[in-house]
Amino acid sequence: MTVTAAMRRTGEPPGTSLAVSTTGLTKRFGARTVVDGVALAIPNGSVCGFVGPNGAGKTTTIRMLLGLIRPTAGSGSILGGSVADPATYLHKVGALIESPAFYPQLSGRENLKALARLGRISLSAVDPVLERAGLSARADDRYRTYSLGMKQRLGIAAALLPGPELLILDEPTNGLDPAGIVEMRGLMRSLAGDGITVLVSSHLISEIEQICDHVVMIRAGRLVHQGSVAELQAAQHPDFLVAPEHDADAATLATLLEAAGCTVTARPGEATALVAAPGLSAADLNRIAVGKGITLRQLTERTRSLERAFFALTSTDDSGLRPAGQEMGEIR
Amino acid sequence: MIWAAFASEWTKLRRRTLLLSTFIGLAAAASLFVILLFSQAPTAGDGGGLPSLQQLARPNGLVVGVTRATVLLGIVAFGIAAAQTASEYSLGTLRQLLVRQPRRVTLLAGKMLGVVSFLLLALCFAALAAFAVAVIAAHTRHVPTTAWFTATGLGDLFRALGDIALAVTGFSVLGLVIGQFLRSAVFAVIVGVAWIIAVENIITRIVPGTAQWLPGTALDTVAAGGTASASYSHGLIIAAVYLVAFTVATAITFTRRDVTA
Repeated sequence: MTVTAAMRRTGEPPGTSLAVSTTGLTKRFGARTVVDGVALAIPNGSVCGFVGPNGAGKTTTIRMLLGLIRPTAGSGSILGGSVADPATYLHKVGALIESPAFYPQLSGRENLKALARLGRISLSAVDPVLERAGLSARADDRYRTYSLGMKQRLGIAAALLPGPELLILDEPTNGLDPAGIVEMRGLMRSLAGDGITVLVSSHLISEIEQICDHVVMIRAGRLVHQGSVAELQAAQHPDFLVAPEHDADAATLATLLEAAGCTVTARPGEATALVAAPGLSAADLNRIAVGKGITLRQLTERTRSLERAFFALTSTDDSGLRPAGQEMGEIR
Repeated sequence: MIWAAFASEWTKLRRRTLLLSTFIGLAAAASLFVILLFSQAPTAGDGGGLPSLQQLARPNGLVVGVTRATVLLGIVAFGIAAAQTASEYSLGTLRQLLVRQPRRVTLLAGKMLGVVSFLLLALCFAALAAFAVAVIAAHTRHVPTTAWFTATGLGDLFRALGDIALAVTGFSVLGLVIGQFLRSAVFAVIVGVAWIIAVENIITRIVPGTAQWLPGTALDTVAAGGTASASYSHGLIIAAVYLVAFTVATAITFTRRDVTA
């Protein structure tokens, strides 16, 4: 994101004020609490990832921010307007909520015109957003003839229509093929470059990690963590993959490392172990091994990923997710 | 603000398939009705409820026959209106609309005005087509049409068209309301048509005194300019009470309802 672009939009440097702030935001459907006292604080000009497993309450939270669902309790402010009165801020907000929804018989352009007229947005805004979403060539084709990727792009174009200060994208890469996902990431990065505050929800943490500078983690309707992505990654204890030169030394090495305060996870019959070593560096581990005459064949520090941070923060949960320290392609 | 919602609704309504099917469909239905009216009419007397050729030659002759087609027009209007609102839920487009216009009563009012104006325009087109067909049909059966073009005849015709337009507006609003409540186009049309055609008839036969108090019958009374069992003003008041009550109930539920579609 370019700082100057963000300042141009909001009048202040990014991070100095909040685009979205909520207190105790709660939604109950009957006896079921879907969102439970969520307090969001999303800085102006940030690209904020909204992360959680499917069913964590992301979409319900987003719908409350957009005035589609009435909160059972709590309050909030979006771009200076109250969540209780969405009309005070929605003219500055663009949104793609779950899968894109348009009239199948109308062309992409006509669909956008219908939304522009409804929002009292100049029709001259339609062509530029179609261009930005890469849909100009197919703008006059009926929506029902669009591929899934094109439908998603039209959803992005609709979200950009009001020239938003805040863009809310709910699972924008859902259903896209790998090329479409890369394309969508590129689009989000370029939007962030314009200084728009972007809130993007996903259950794919790796995806969020690649494009976001701020993250909100939610699980079972409750806020787990929010803050800077870089700080979260830096705060993690490092993990190492460690293997002795001779397999016979594996058990001895594990005992030594555990005695030094490490947690060692080894698969039966494998010499390579995963070592969680709070407060220790690779050099420390090597020193421990060499001190007992064990030469290491492998000593690799694993990348500090957001995905592992998420599992570390939620490792006490028993809902079937794998605990911290295990590789996960995605959270489900 | 309502104008913006109205203009947006018309962007959707004016798509070629819906426009042609509604305008041509209504015109064809009304014209077919007129053709049957003239082809089946007895020379004199009352042909099983149909006006005779002598009656058709009077200044209000055409009016007597055409008002009987109102239920048909009403059902078509009801179905189209119900589909327009219910499909916003099934397509998921309602959430897009509410992000761009979060004042829900404004959105509802604009949509209602859009759909009602669309159907009234279709009705006008159908009336013009049916009138042209009536003139031709009259000549084929040697029915003089001079009286239709007198001040009395034209006055009766425009008054009848006004009454039919009121009734079609009522059926359209009922369709919008039922579509909004049920959120399923197919279910709304089935429920509405069953009510208008069957349920009201059954209720009336079981409890004869209730006829003048039912919404569909009240709208029929308005379209006919009054009937033997209920006056025009009575029909107008009953229909208005139903429509206002239904519209207010819809506005309240629409405003409070969570949009999860």
